Amino acid sequence: MTQWTVLYRKEMTEMVRNYKILWIPIVFILLGVMQPVSSYYMPEILDTFGDLPEGTILEMPLPTGAEVLMQVLSNYGMLGVLILVLSAMGVVSSERQSGVAGMVMIKPVPYSSYILSKWAGLLTITLISLFIGYVASWYYTSLLIETVAFERIFQSVVIYSIWLVFVVTLTLFFSTIMKGNASVAFVTILVIFSISSVTSILGKNMTWSPAKMPEHTGQVLLSGELESGFLLALITTIAIIIVVLLSSIQIFKQKELLE
Amino acid sequence: MELLKASDLVKGYGNTNAVNGINFHIEEGRCVSLLGPNGAGKTTTLKMLSGLLEPTSGSIDFKGEKAKDLRPFIGYLPQYPAFYNWMSGKEFLVFAGQLAKLNRKEAEKRSEELLERMGLANAKKRKIRGYSGGMKQRLGLAQALIHRPELLILDEPVSALDPLGRREVLDMMREIKKETTILFSTHVLHDAEEISDSILIMHAGEIAISGSLRSVMEEYRQPILQIEFEAPAADWLKSIASYSFVSEVNIQGNKTSIVLKDMVNGKQTLLKDIVERKLPVRKFEISQTTLEDLFMRVVKS
Repeated sequence: MTQWTVLYRKEMTEMVRNYKILWIPIVFILLGVMQPVSSYYMPEILDTFGDLPEGTILEMPLPTGAEVLMQVLSNYGMLGVLILVLSAMGVVSSERQSGVAGMVMIKPVPYSSYILSKWAGLLTITLISLFIGYVASWYYTSLLIETVAFERIFQSVVIYSIWLVFVVTLTLFFSTIMKGNASVAFVTILVIFSISSVTSILGKNMTWSPAKMPEHTGQVLLSGELESGFLLALITTIAIIIVVLLSSIQIFKQKELLE
Repeated sequence: MELLKASDLVKGYGNTNAVNGINFHIEEGRCVSLLGPNGAGKTTTLKMLSGLLEPTSGSIDFKGEKAKDLRPFIGYLPQYPAFYNWMSGKEFLVFAGQLAKLNRKEAEKRSEELLERMGLANAKKRKIRGYSGGMKQRLGLAQALIHRPELLILDEPVSALDPLGRREVLDMMREIKKETTILFSTHVLHDAEEISDSILIMHAGEIAISGSLRSVMEEYRQPILQIEFEAPAADWLKSIASYSFVSEVNIQGNKTSIVLKDMVNGKQTLLKDIVERKLPVRKFEISQTTLEDLFMRVVKS
Protein backbone atom coordinates (compact mmCIF):
# COMPACT_ATOMS: atom_id res chain seq x y z
CA MET A 1 0.00 0.00 0.00
CA THR A 2 1.42 3.39 -0.89
CA GLN A 3 1.86 6.13 1.66
CA TRP A 4 -0.71 8.16 -0.21
CA THR A 5 -3.33 5.50 0.48
CA VAL A 6 -2.37 5.37 4.15
CA LEU A 7 -2.70 9.13 4.42
CA TYR A 8 -5.96 9.24 2.47
CA ARG A 9 -7.42 6.56 4.68
CA LYS A 10 -6.35 8.56 7.74
CA GLU A 11 -8.17 11.60 6.31
CA MET A 12 -11.35 9.58 5.87
CA THR A 13 -11.13 7.99 9.32
CA GLU A 14 -10.66 11.42 10.85
CA MET A 15 -13.76 12.75 9.09
CA VAL A 16 -15.74 9.77 10.33
CA ARG A 17 -14.52 10.20 13.91
CA ASN A 18 -15.24 13.93 14.07
CA TYR A 19 -18.59 13.43 12.28
CA LYS A 20 -17.69 15.74 9.38
CA ILE A 21 -18.79 12.97 7.06
CA LEU A 22 -22.22 13.29 8.64
CA TRP A 23 -22.92 16.94 9.28
CA ILE A 24 -21.60 18.49 6.07
CA PRO A 25 -23.87 16.33 3.87
CA ILE A 26 -26.73 17.06 6.28
CA VAL A 27 -26.24 20.80 5.80
CA PHE A 28 -26.28 20.31 2.03
CA ILE A 29 -29.41 18.18 2.25
CA LEU A 30 -31.17 20.80 4.39
CA LEU A 31 -30.15 23.60 2.04
CA GLY A 32 -31.31 21.50 -0.89
CA VAL A 33 -34.67 20.43 0.52
CA MET A 34 -35.69 23.74 2.06
CA GLN A 35 -35.84 25.49 -1.31
CA PRO A 36 -38.50 23.35 -3.06
CA VAL A 37 -40.47 23.03 0.20
CA SER A 38 -40.55 26.74 0.90
CA SER A 39 -41.38 27.59 -2.74
CA TYR A 40 -44.28 25.18 -2.66
CA TYR A 41 -45.70 26.30 0.63
CA MET A 42 -44.97 29.99 0.22
CA PRO A 43 -48.66 31.02 -0.18
CA GLU A 44 -49.63 29.13 2.99
CA ILE A 45 -46.67 30.51 4.86
CA LEU A 46 -47.56 34.06 3.91
CA ASP A 47 -51.18 33.40 4.73
CA THR A 48 -50.36 32.19 8.21
CA PHE A 49 -47.54 34.43 9.24
CA GLY A 50 -47.73 37.29 6.79
CA ASP A 51 -50.27 39.32 8.79
CA LEU A 52 -52.03 40.31 5.58
CA PRO A 53 -55.34 42.19 5.67
CA GLU A 54 -58.49 40.06 5.44
CA GLY A 55 -59.53 39.16 1.94
CA THR A 56 -56.17 39.63 0.23
CA ILE A 57 -55.91 37.32 -2.73
CA LEU A 58 -52.49 35.85 -3.23
CA GLU A 59 -51.43 35.19 -6.78
CA MET A 60 -48.04 33.52 -6.61
CA PRO A 61 -46.85 31.74 -9.69
CA LEU A 62 -45.17 28.46 -8.73
CA PRO A 63 -41.54 28.52 -10.01
CA THR A 64 -40.50 25.85 -12.46
CA GLY A 65 -38.41 22.92 -11.26
CA ALA A 66 -35.32 24.24 -12.99
CA GLU A 67 -35.72 27.60 -11.30
CA VAL A 68 -35.96 25.95 -7.89
CA LEU A 69 -32.83 23.94 -8.52
CA MET A 70 -31.00 27.06 -9.68
CA GLN A 71 -31.99 28.67 -6.42
CA VAL A 72 -30.64 25.63 -4.57
CA LEU A 73 -27.30 25.92 -6.34
CA SER A 74 -27.16 29.60 -5.52
CA ASN A 75 -27.66 28.66 -1.84
CA TYR A 76 -24.81 26.18 -2.19
CA GLY A 77 -22.77 29.00 -3.68
CA MET A 78 -23.23 31.08 -0.53
CA LEU A 79 -23.80 28.96 2.57
CA GLY A 80 -22.43 25.76 1.06
CA VAL A 81 -19.16 27.41 0.12
CA LEU A 82 -18.93 29.02 3.54
CA ILE A 83 -19.42 25.68 5.30
CA LEU A 84 -16.89 23.96 3.05
CA VAL A 85 -14.27 26.65 3.55
CA LEU A 86 -14.78 26.72 7.32
CA SER A 87 -14.59 22.96 7.63
CA ALA A 88 -11.49 22.73 5.42
CA MET A 89 -9.58 25.79 6.65
CA GLY A 90 -7.42 23.84 9.13
CA VAL A 91 -6.67 20.98 6.79
CA VAL A 92 -2.93 21.68 6.70
CA SER A 93 -2.53 24.68 9.01
CA SER A 94 -3.85 22.92 12.15
CA GLU A 95 -1.55 19.99 11.58
CA ARG A 96 1.37 22.34 11.15
CA GLN A 97 0.41 24.23 14.26
CA SER A 98 0.15 21.14 16.43
CA GLY A 99 3.36 19.73 14.95
CA VAL A 100 1.79 16.50 13.80
CA ALA A 101 2.53 17.40 10.17
CA GLY A 102 6.19 17.20 11.15
CA MET A 103 5.60 13.81 12.76
CA VAL A 104 4.28 12.59 9.40
CA MET A 105 7.02 14.16 7.33
CA ILE A 106 9.89 12.71 9.39
CA LYS A 107 8.85 9.41 7.88
CA PRO A 108 9.97 9.02 4.26
CA VAL A 109 6.73 10.45 2.87
CA PRO A 110 6.82 12.43 -0.39
CA TYR A 111 5.57 15.98 0.13
CA SER A 112 3.20 15.53 -2.80
CA SER A 113 1.54 12.52 -1.13
CA TYR A 114 0.76 14.56 1.94
CA ILE A 115 -0.86 17.44 0.05
CA LEU A 116 -2.62 15.23 -2.49
CA SER A 117 -4.08 13.00 0.21
CA LYS A 118 -5.50 16.11 1.86
CA TRP A 119 -6.87 17.25 -1.47
CA ALA A 120 -8.47 13.89 -2.16
CA GLY A 121 -10.05 13.90 1.30
CA LEU A 122 -11.54 17.35 0.71
CA LEU A 123 -12.79 16.32 -2.72
CA THR A 124 -14.46 13.25 -1.29
CA ILE A 125 -16.42 15.12 1.37
CA THR A 126 -17.28 17.97 -1.03
CA LEU A 127 -18.57 15.74 -3.79
CA ILE A 128 -20.46 13.42 -1.45
CA SER A 129 -22.19 16.41 0.17
CA LEU A 130 -23.01 18.08 -3.12
CA PHE A 131 -24.37 14.94 -4.78
CA ILE A 132 -26.46 13.78 -1.84
CA GLY A 133 -27.84 17.26 -1.15
CA TYR A 134 -28.64 17.88 -4.80
CA VAL A 135 -30.31 14.52 -5.27
CA ALA A 136 -32.45 15.17 -2.19
CA SER A 137 -33.38 18.54 -3.59
CA TRP A 138 -34.22 17.03 -6.97
CA TYR A 139 -36.40 14.43 -5.28
CA TYR A 140 -38.43 17.00 -3.36
CA THR A 141 -38.67 19.27 -6.37
CA SER A 142 -40.18 16.51 -8.46
CA LEU A 143 -42.46 15.54 -5.61
CA LEU A 144 -43.84 19.02 -5.00
CA ILE A 145 -43.31 20.98 -8.20
CA GLU A 146 -42.22 19.18 -11.32
CA THR A 147 -39.66 16.68 -12.47
CA VAL A 148 -36.54 18.03 -14.12
CA ALA A 149 -34.95 15.69 -16.64
CA PHE A 150 -32.28 13.56 -15.00
CA GLU A 151 -29.85 14.33 -17.79
CA ARG A 152 -29.93 18.04 -16.93
CA ILE A 153 -29.52 17.28 -13.25
CA PHE A 154 -26.52 15.15 -13.95
CA GLN A 155 -24.87 17.66 -16.28
CA SER A 156 -25.48 20.58 -13.96
CA VAL A 157 -24.13 18.84 -10.87
CA VAL A 158 -20.98 17.79 -12.69
CA ILE A 159 -20.34 21.33 -13.89
CA TYR A 160 -21.13 22.78 -10.48
CA SER A 161 -18.83 20.31 -8.73
CA ILE A 162 -15.89 21.74 -10.72
CA TRP A 163 -16.57 25.12 -9.09
CA LEU A 164 -16.64 23.59 -5.60
CA VAL A 165 -13.44 21.64 -6.32
CA PHE A 166 -11.89 24.97 -7.26
CA VAL A 167 -13.07 26.44 -3.95
CA VAL A 168 -11.64 23.66 -1.76
CA THR A 169 -8.39 23.62 -3.72
CA LEU A 170 -7.99 27.32 -2.93
CA THR A 171 -8.75 26.59 0.73
CA LEU A 172 -6.07 23.89 0.77
CA PHE A 173 -3.61 26.32 -0.80
CA PHE A 174 -4.18 29.06 1.76
CA SER A 175 -4.16 26.51 4.56
CA THR A 176 -0.70 25.47 3.38
CA ILE A 177 0.77 28.95 3.15
CA MET A 178 -0.79 30.46 6.26
CA LYS A 179 -0.91 29.35 9.86
CA GLY A 180 -3.97 30.86 11.50
CA ASN A 181 -7.20 29.06 10.71
CA ALA A 182 -9.29 32.21 10.84
CA SER A 183 -7.05 34.05 8.40
CA VAL A 184 -7.13 31.05 6.05
CA ALA A 185 -10.93 31.16 5.98
CA PHE A 186 -11.03 34.94 5.65
CA VAL A 187 -8.57 35.12 2.76
CA THR A 188 -10.15 32.19 0.93
CA ILE A 189 -13.64 33.68 1.16
CA LEU A 190 -12.30 37.07 0.13
CA VAL A 191 -10.57 35.65 -2.93
CA ILE A 192 -13.62 33.63 -4.00
CA PHE A 193 -15.91 36.59 -3.46
CA SER A 194 -13.60 38.86 -5.48
CA ILE A 195 -13.36 36.39 -8.36
CA SER A 196 -17.15 36.05 -8.42
CA SER A 197 -17.88 39.77 -8.30
CA VAL A 198 -15.23 40.75 -10.84
CA THR A 199 -16.54 38.05 -13.15
CA SER A 200 -20.13 39.20 -12.86
CA ILE A 201 -19.20 42.89 -13.27
CA LEU A 202 -16.89 42.47 -16.24
CA GLY A 203 -19.02 39.64 -17.65
CA LYS A 204 -18.09 39.55 -21.32
CA ASN A 205 -14.38 39.98 -20.75
CA MET A 206 -14.16 37.20 -18.22
CA THR A 207 -15.44 34.21 -20.15
CA TRP A 208 -12.40 32.24 -18.96
CA SER A 209 -13.09 32.79 -15.28
CA PRO A 210 -13.76 29.82 -12.99
CA ALA A 211 -16.58 31.84 -11.47
CA LYS A 212 -18.43 31.37 -14.80
CA MET A 213 -19.02 27.75 -13.77
CA PRO A 214 -22.12 28.52 -11.65
CA GLU A 215 -23.56 30.51 -14.57
CA HIS A 216 -22.98 27.63 -16.97
CA THR A 217 -24.67 25.34 -14.47
CA GLY A 218 -27.77 27.53 -14.56
CA GLN A 219 -27.77 27.54 -18.36
CA VAL A 220 -27.67 23.77 -18.50
CA LEU A 221 -30.53 23.53 -16.05
CA LEU A 222 -32.74 25.99 -17.91
CA SER A 223 -32.01 25.17 -21.53
CA GLY A 224 -30.17 21.87 -21.45
CA GLU A 225 -27.48 23.36 -23.62
CA LEU A 226 -24.04 24.70 -22.94
CA GLU A 227 -22.94 28.19 -23.79
CA SER A 228 -20.04 28.68 -26.14
CA GLY A 229 -17.63 29.94 -23.49
CA PHE A 230 -17.90 26.81 -21.39
CA LEU A 231 -14.89 24.98 -22.78
CA LEU A 232 -12.59 27.95 -22.19
CA ALA A 233 -13.79 28.36 -18.60
CA LEU A 234 -13.42 24.62 -17.99
CA ILE A 235 -9.87 24.56 -19.30
CA THR A 236 -8.72 27.57 -17.27
CA THR A 237 -10.41 26.28 -14.12
CA ILE A 238 -8.70 22.90 -14.38
CA ALA A 239 -5.41 24.60 -15.23
CA ILE A 240 -5.68 26.88 -12.19
CA ILE A 241 -6.51 23.91 -9.96
CA ILE A 242 -3.41 22.07 -11.16
CA VAL A 243 -1.15 25.09 -10.77
CA VAL A 244 -2.50 25.83 -7.28
CA LEU A 245 -1.98 22.21 -6.22
CA LEU A 246 1.57 22.12 -7.55
CA SER A 247 2.46 25.36 -5.82
CA SER A 248 0.89 24.10 -2.58
CA ILE A 249 3.25 21.11 -2.72
CA GLN A 250 6.26 23.31 -3.46
CA ILE A 251 5.42 25.75 -0.69
CA PHE A 252 4.78 22.93 1.77
CA LYS A 253 8.26 21.59 0.98
CA GLN A 254 9.80 24.91 1.98
CA LYS A 255 7.86 25.29 5.21
CA GLU A 256 9.67 24.55 8.41
CA LEU A 257 7.82 21.81 10.22
CA LEU A 258 8.24 21.07 13.91
CA GLU A 259 9.20 24.38 15.37
CA MET B 1 32.54 2.40 11.32
CA GLU B 2 31.45 5.88 10.49
CA LEU B 3 27.70 6.03 10.23
CA LEU B 4 27.11 9.69 9.62
CA LYS B 5 29.34 12.58 8.81
CA ALA B 6 28.41 16.23 8.70
CA SER B 7 30.70 18.59 6.83
CA ASP B 8 30.58 22.36 7.07
CA LEU B 9 26.90 22.31 7.89
CA VAL B 10 25.39 25.80 7.86
CA LYS B 11 21.81 26.89 8.41
CA GLY B 12 21.04 30.56 8.15
CA TYR B 13 17.87 32.45 8.94
CA GLY B 14 18.04 35.87 7.38
CA ASN B 15 21.29 37.43 8.40
CA THR B 16 22.10 35.17 11.33
CA ASN B 17 23.37 31.65 11.21
CA ALA B 18 21.69 29.31 13.67
CA VAL B 19 24.31 26.72 12.79
CA ASN B 20 27.59 28.09 11.65
CA GLY B 21 29.66 25.52 9.75
CA ILE B 22 29.91 22.47 11.95
CA ASN B 23 31.87 19.29 11.31
CA PHE B 24 31.47 16.04 13.17
CA HIS B 25 30.90 12.38 12.66
CA ILE B 26 29.04 9.65 14.49
CA GLU B 27 30.45 6.17 14.85
CA GLU B 28 28.10 3.25 14.46
CA GLY B 29 26.88 1.81 17.74
CA ARG B 30 27.72 4.84 19.84
CA CYS B 31 25.45 6.89 21.98
CA VAL B 32 26.27 10.50 21.34
CA SER B 33 24.92 13.42 23.30
CA LEU B 34 24.68 16.91 21.90
CA LEU B 35 25.02 19.49 24.65
CA GLY B 36 24.61 23.20 24.62
CA PRO B 37 22.64 26.04 26.14
CA ASN B 38 19.29 27.09 24.69
CA GLY B 39 19.73 28.72 21.32
CA ALA B 40 23.03 27.00 20.60
CA GLY B 41 21.60 25.43 17.45
CA LYS B 42 21.02 21.90 18.72
CA THR B 43 17.50 21.46 17.38
CA THR B 44 18.41 23.02 14.04
CA THR B 45 21.33 20.60 13.72
CA LEU B 46 19.17 17.60 14.56
CA LYS B 47 16.49 18.68 12.11
CA MET B 48 19.04 18.96 9.34
CA LEU B 49 20.39 15.51 10.13
CA SER B 50 16.91 14.03 10.13
CA GLY B 51 16.17 15.40 6.67
CA LEU B 52 13.41 17.69 7.88
CA LEU B 53 15.35 20.85 7.21
CA GLU B 54 17.45 21.68 4.19
CA PRO B 55 20.93 22.94 5.17
CA THR B 56 21.88 26.32 3.67
CA SER B 57 25.21 24.79 2.76
CA GLY B 58 27.36 21.83 3.66
CA SER B 59 26.76 18.15 3.28
CA ILE B 60 25.71 15.09 5.23
CA ASP B 61 27.16 11.70 4.35
CA PHE B 62 25.45 8.55 5.49
CA LYS B 63 27.60 5.41 5.52
CA GLY B 64 30.19 7.13 3.36
CA GLU B 65 27.73 8.19 0.68
CA LYS B 66 26.18 11.54 0.12
CA ALA B 67 22.61 10.96 1.16
CA LYS B 68 19.68 12.44 -0.68
CA ASP B 69 16.84 11.54 1.61
CA LEU B 70 17.96 10.38 5.04
CA ARG B 71 14.50 9.84 6.42
CA PRO B 72 14.30 6.07 5.74
CA PHE B 73 17.34 5.42 7.93
CA ILE B 74 16.51 7.73 10.76
CA GLY B 75 14.06 7.62 13.61
CA TYR B 76 13.33 11.05 15.02
CA LEU B 77 11.69 12.13 18.23
CA PRO B 78 11.05 15.88 18.26
CA GLN B 79 11.23 17.96 21.38
CA TYR B 80 7.46 18.25 21.54
CA PRO B 81 6.05 15.17 19.85
CA ALA B 82 2.52 15.68 18.52
CA PHE B 83 0.01 13.05 17.57
CA TYR B 84 -3.43 12.68 16.12
CA ASN B 85 -5.18 12.77 19.46
CA TRP B 86 -8.27 11.02 18.13
CA MET B 87 -6.23 7.92 17.34
CA SER B 88 -5.40 5.23 19.83
CA GLY B 89 -1.75 4.62 20.65
CA LYS B 90 -1.70 1.50 18.55
CA GLU B 91 -3.46 3.10 15.61
CA PHE B 92 -0.85 5.84 15.52
CA LEU B 93 2.04 3.38 15.58
CA VAL B 94 0.56 1.30 12.78
CA PHE B 95 -0.02 4.51 10.81
CA ALA B 96 3.57 5.64 11.39
CA GLY B 97 4.86 2.18 10.47
CA GLN B 98 2.96 2.18 7.21
CA LEU B 99 4.26 5.63 6.37
CA ALA B 100 7.75 4.20 6.89
CA LYS B 101 6.92 1.61 4.24
CA LEU B 102 6.17 -1.36 6.42
CA ASN B 103 3.24 -3.39 5.18
CA ARG B 104 0.15 -3.58 7.33
CA LYS B 105 1.05 -6.90 8.93
CA GLU B 106 4.60 -5.91 9.80
CA ALA B 107 3.41 -2.58 11.13
CA GLU B 108 0.87 -4.29 13.41
CA LYS B 109 3.44 -6.78 14.67
CA ARG B 110 6.09 -4.18 15.27
CA SER B 111 3.60 -1.89 17.02
CA GLU B 112 2.56 -4.61 19.45
CA GLU B 113 6.20 -5.33 20.14
CA LEU B 114 7.06 -1.70 20.83
CA LEU B 115 3.95 -1.01 22.90
CA GLU B 116 4.93 -3.93 25.10
CA ARG B 117 8.48 -2.70 25.36
CA MET B 118 7.53 0.88 26.13
CA GLY B 119 5.12 -0.23 28.83
CA LEU B 120 2.10 1.03 26.90
CA ALA B 121 0.46 -2.33 26.25
CA ASN B 122 -2.38 -1.56 28.65
CA ALA B 123 -3.06 1.81 27.07
CA LYS B 124 -2.80 0.77 23.44
CA LYS B 125 -6.53 1.02 22.78
CA ARG B 126 -6.96 4.29 24.60
CA LYS B 127 -7.12 7.56 22.72
CA ILE B 128 -3.84 9.49 22.75
CA ARG B 129 -5.83 12.50 24.01
CA GLY B 130 -5.87 10.83 27.43
CA TYR B 131 -2.16 10.01 27.60
CA SER B 132 0.11 11.62 30.17
CA GLY B 133 3.27 13.51 29.18
CA GLY B 134 5.45 10.52 29.97
CA MET B 135 3.26 8.18 27.97
CA LYS B 136 3.34 10.50 24.97
CA GLN B 137 7.11 10.63 25.17
CA ARG B 138 7.28 6.83 25.19
CA LEU B 139 4.83 6.65 22.30
CA GLY B 140 7.05 9.13 20.49
CA LEU B 141 10.02 6.89 21.13
CA ALA B 142 8.05 3.93 19.80
CA GLN B 143 7.09 5.72 16.57
CA ALA B 144 10.72 6.70 16.05
CA LEU B 145 11.79 3.06 16.36
CA ILE B 146 8.97 1.56 14.32
CA HIS B 147 10.98 1.04 11.13
CA ARG B 148 14.15 -0.16 12.90
CA PRO B 149 16.18 2.93 11.99
CA GLU B 150 19.94 2.81 11.90
CA LEU B 151 20.22 6.10 13.69
CA LEU B 152 17.86 7.30 16.38
CA ILE B 153 17.76 11.05 16.87
CA LEU B 154 16.13 12.37 20.03
CA ASP B 155 15.64 16.06 20.68
CA GLU B 156 15.58 16.77 24.42
CA PRO B 157 13.98 13.41 25.19
CA VAL B 158 13.80 13.92 28.96
CA SER B 159 13.68 17.68 29.51
CA ALA B 160 9.93 17.97 29.83
CA LEU B 161 9.43 14.96 32.09
CA ASP B 162 9.11 14.58 35.83
CA PRO B 163 11.83 12.59 37.64
CA LEU B 164 9.93 9.33 37.29
CA GLY B 165 9.25 9.77 33.59
CA ARG B 166 12.83 10.85 33.09
CA ARG B 167 14.10 7.70 34.74
CA GLU B 168 11.84 5.54 32.55
CA VAL B 169 12.95 7.14 29.32
CA LEU B 170 16.63 7.00 30.28
CA ASP B 171 16.33 3.31 31.09
CA MET B 172 14.70 2.73 27.73
CA MET B 173 17.46 4.63 25.96
CA ARG B 174 20.01 2.44 27.70
CA GLU B 175 18.21 -0.60 26.29
CA ILE B 176 17.90 0.85 22.80
CA LYS B 177 21.57 1.78 22.83
CA LYS B 178 22.44 -1.89 22.50
CA GLU B 179 20.86 -2.13 19.05
CA THR B 180 20.92 1.30 17.51
CA THR B 181 23.16 4.30 17.26
CA ILE B 182 21.69 7.17 19.24
CA LEU B 183 22.20 10.90 18.94
CA PHE B 184 20.35 12.96 21.51
CA SER B 185 20.40 16.53 22.62
CA THR B 186 20.01 17.62 26.20
CA HIS B 187 20.87 20.37 28.58
CA VAL B 188 20.74 18.05 31.55
CA LEU B 189 24.43 17.27 31.88
CA HIS B 190 23.89 14.51 34.34
CA ASP B 191 21.96 12.50 31.75
CA ALA B 192 24.68 12.94 29.20
CA GLU B 193 27.30 11.75 31.64
CA GLU B 194 25.15 8.81 32.56
CA ILE B 195 24.43 7.20 29.21
CA SER B 196 26.50 8.65 26.42
CA ASP B 197 29.79 7.39 25.02
CA SER B 198 30.67 10.57 23.19
CA ILE B 199 29.74 14.18 23.57
CA LEU B 200 29.46 17.18 21.31
CA ILE B 201 29.21 20.55 23.00
CA MET B 202 27.69 23.27 20.87
CA HIS B 203 27.80 26.95 21.56
CA ALA B 204 26.51 29.78 19.38
CA GLY B 205 26.08 27.58 16.33
CA GLU B 206 29.51 26.01 16.53
CA ILE B 207 30.92 22.85 18.01
CA ALA B 208 33.15 23.83 20.88
CA ILE B 209 34.28 20.44 22.12
CA SER B 210 33.79 16.94 20.79
CA GLY B 211 35.12 13.51 21.53
CA SER B 212 34.50 10.46 23.62
CA LEU B 213 33.20 11.25 27.06
CA ARG B 214 36.26 9.79 28.76
CA SER B 215 38.85 11.52 26.61
CA VAL B 216 37.08 14.86 26.89
CA MET B 217 36.90 14.54 30.64
CA GLU B 218 40.53 13.54 30.87
CA GLU B 219 41.71 16.28 28.60
CA TYR B 220 39.82 19.06 30.28
CA ARG B 221 39.83 17.79 33.83
CA GLN B 222 41.48 20.10 36.32
CA PRO B 223 42.04 19.84 40.04
CA ILE B 224 39.64 22.02 41.86
CA LEU B 225 39.18 23.17 45.44
CA GLN B 226 35.72 23.58 46.80
CA ILE B 227 35.36 25.66 49.92
CA GLU B 228 32.15 26.36 51.72
CA PHE B 229 31.98 29.11 54.34
CA GLU B 230 29.47 29.76 57.05
CA ALA B 231 29.51 33.43 56.19
CA PRO B 232 30.67 35.16 53.02
CA ALA B 233 34.40 35.71 52.81
CA ALA B 234 34.52 37.89 49.77
CA ASP B 235 37.53 39.97 50.78
CA TRP B 236 39.78 37.02 51.19
CA LEU B 237 38.53 35.36 48.03
CA LYS B 238 39.32 38.50 46.09
CA SER B 239 42.81 38.60 47.46
CA ILE B 240 43.68 35.00 46.59
CA ALA B 241 43.28 35.65 42.88
CA SER B 242 46.75 37.18 43.01
CA TYR B 243 48.43 33.91 43.96
CA SER B 244 50.29 32.45 41.03
CA PHE B 245 48.86 28.93 41.50
CA VAL B 246 45.22 30.07 41.29
CA SER B 247 43.81 30.13 37.78
CA GLU B 248 40.11 30.77 38.41
CA VAL B 249 37.78 31.62 41.30
CA ASN B 250 34.03 31.08 41.04
CA ILE B 251 31.88 32.35 43.88
CA GLN B 252 28.31 31.16 44.33
CA GLY B 253 26.95 32.44 47.63
CA ASN B 254 28.86 30.81 50.46
CA LYS B 255 30.33 28.22 48.13
CA THR B 256 33.46 28.82 46.13
CA SER B 257 35.26 26.68 43.62
CA ILE B 258 38.86 27.47 42.88
CA VAL B 259 40.70 26.02 39.93
CA LEU B 260 44.35 25.44 40.81
CA LYS B 261 47.40 25.02 38.69
CA ASP B 262 49.40 23.50 41.50
CA MET B 263 47.30 21.51 43.91
CA VAL B 264 49.99 20.51 46.42
CA ASN B 265 51.33 23.97 46.99
CA GLY B 266 48.01 25.70 46.57
CA LYS B 267 46.02 23.80 49.14
CA GLN B 268 48.80 24.25 51.75
CA THR B 269 48.89 27.98 51.29
CA LEU B 270 45.14 28.40 51.22
CA LEU B 271 44.60 26.24 54.30
CA LYS B 272 47.21 28.23 56.17
CA ASP B 273 45.48 31.44 55.12
CA ILE B 274 42.12 30.22 56.36
CA VAL B 275 43.55 29.25 59.75
CA GLU B 276 45.45 32.50 60.17
CA ARG B 277 42.44 34.65 59.30
CA LYS B 278 40.09 32.50 61.35
CA LEU B 279 37.68 32.22 58.44
CA PRO B 280 34.46 30.32 59.31
CA VAL B 281 34.99 27.34 56.99
CA ARG B 282 32.41 24.57 56.81
CA LYS B 283 33.80 22.42 54.04
CA PHE B 284 37.13 22.14 52.33
CA GLU B 285 37.21 19.63 49.52
CA ILE B 286 39.61 18.64 46.78
CA SER B 287 37.98 17.35 43.63
CA GLN B 288 38.04 17.42 39.85
CA THR B 289 36.16 19.58 37.41
CA THR B 290 32.93 17.96 36.21
CA LEU B 291 31.18 18.07 32.88
CA GLU B 292 29.16 20.92 34.26
CA ASP B 293 32.26 23.02 34.93
CA LEU B 294 33.49 22.28 31.45
CA PHE B 295 30.11 23.19 30.00
CA MET B 296 29.97 26.44 31.94
CA ARG B 297 33.43 27.36 30.76
CA VAL B 298 32.56 26.74 27.12
CA VAL B 299 29.35 28.70 27.37
CA LYS B 300 30.90 31.67 29.15
CA SER B 301 33.92 32.01 26.90
